[in-house]
Amino acid sequence: MQVCGFMKELAVKVCTNEQIAPGIYELDLALPEEIDFRCGQFLNLSVGDGAHLLRRPFAVMSYDRVSRTVCVCYQVKGEGTRLLSRVKEGDALACVLPLGNGFRIAEEQKRVALIGGGVGVFPLLSVLQEYHESDKHFRSYMGFRSAKFVSTFGKYDHRSDAAFIMTDDGSFGEKGTAVSKFFEDFEEARPDLILSCGPTPMLRALKAGLAERKIETPCFVSLEERMGCGIGACLVCVCKKSGSEENARVCKDGPVFDINEVEI
Amino acid sequence: MAKLNVNICGVNFKNPVIAASGTFGFGKEFDEIYDISCLGGISTKGLTLEPRLGNPTPRIAEAHGVILNSVGLQNPGVDVFLRDDLDFLKSKHIAIVANVAGRTLEDYEGICARLDGLVDMIELNISCPNVRCGGMAFGIRPESVKEATRVAKSALKHTPLMVKLSPNVESIPANARAAEEGGADALSLINTLNGMVIDIERRRPFFANVTAGVSGAGIRPIAVRMVWEACNAVGIPVMGMGGITCAEDALQFILAGAAAVQVGTANFSDTLAMPKIIEGLNSWLDAHGVADVNELRGALQLD
Repeated sequence: MQVCGFMKELAVKVCTNEQIAPGIYELDLALPEEIDFRCGQFLNLSVGDGAHLLRRPFAVMSYDRVSRTVCVCYQVKGEGTRLLSRVKEGDALACVLPLGNGFRIAEEQKRVALIGGGVGVFPLLSVLQEYHESDKHFRSYMGFRSAKFVSTFGKYDHRSDAAFIMTDDGSFGEKGTAVSKFFEDFEEARPDLILSCGPTPMLRALKAGLAERKIETPCFVSLEERMGCGIGACLVCVCKKSGSEENARVCKDGPVFDINEVEI
Repeated sequence: MAKLNVNICGVNFKNPVIAASGTFGFGKEFDEIYDISCLGGISTKGLTLEPRLGNPTPRIAEAHGVILNSVGLQNPGVDVFLRDDLDFLKSKHIAIVANVAGRTLEDYEGICARLDGLVDMIELNISCPNVRCGGMAFGIRPESVKEATRVAKSALKHTPLMVKLSPNVESIPANARAAEEGGADALSLINTLNGMVIDIERRRPFFANVTAGVSGAGIRPIAVRMVWEACNAVGIPVMGMGGITCAEDALQFILAGAAAVQVGTANFSDTLAMPKIIEGLNSWLDAHGVADVNELRGALQLD
């Protein structure tokens, strides 16, 4: 896949950094110049402290071309994201962007299924943003741990023809998983394309379910891996290509892969 | 505008700032962000005769002021490099240092013979800590450092040989001298330090390979000391590296005796780290009335 736009090293300014769910933050960043973003691409962001040498890769959730603001959501998982959760309006951070191949929807693909789990929901929201005024029809299947984690998705569910919110404990929407709901709804949805992002067990369940049901609808997944440079040079964030003795770079060849192209 | 170019065993580097092996691939990705022709040179991702898949993921971790990596020499093999990447690097008019690794002495001999005359310099990696039964094994004892150097040198008729030393050894001066005696034209150091991270929840090592290579700003004082020791031990030129993030860091290595420096981990923290270091060197030299960076090489005063 061809990368859209050119990678750039930029100093960005924090507009807001708010907790939207337990341990999950929405970070708005003002860019100094206009960037050509594609849904599913990501940026590699410094955490604002010299002792943490690695940047953190975050999928772009939305991009406002007019105000040149980019929004990412992240979960506090370790020291780096904890530091990031403390940055404030006006703080300067460094980042390189836009990175990765992103999601693509071909002209003839009209009905698109979006299957997301946990923080994997956020990159899929960028698909809804990019295509919401197009002739595409979306059905969304989004899984969360409980009601407390659902918040952001509510803002976007009107952009899908049907949006199914699933929670592990049934405290919001239906009890169950996004993948099981997708298969339950499959006959109704009849998608031309499936796009997914979420925890590895979820992607494995999706891959197994598609194989079991002999569903041949094109399916693309966005993967996550610990990264070094973030731009494809260091070979840190690799995944195995299915049926070959080769690795793919998650940051450069991905993060979006055909589900049958890589080992999950 | 100070004079920045340096000559290391007949190879001209337009400035003393060279991309360190493993952090910069073969240069194409960074060239999408800035024109890498501004660099002094590039040391390629470690090359082997055959393609290598490398280690399982995760391959990287972070600790205060440092990172650890366990990539394990993933590379497409020397022939793919020659076919797909060499012309691109040549078009950039920067010094091309091919970093080479192997499992056996025959591997080192074979890959050096393959690259002889095709690149500007060979950097012999006898010190990679992330590959079992190879690399590091040759880098530990002075006798095997000398032997690996001798074998590599015997395969090189046209291209100078630089030997990259491991810091995980008993004596840097002894290994530096061993490489010089084996016929090395230059030395580079330090490779990464051996380190380990433990996942306390899983009660397991973070890396599948258990240990990994530590690099980044936090190791710089160790690297400066080792480069200084190596420069005092040998007469051949030395390239210094280890935790360089800015021009001032690079100058410490040059004062310690390094003819040039390599920059690795800093490329992860800031993709523009190297152009900034080059610019910073120029400004520092101008501000201090130093006309030529070579005047500072080994200019450390101990009294």
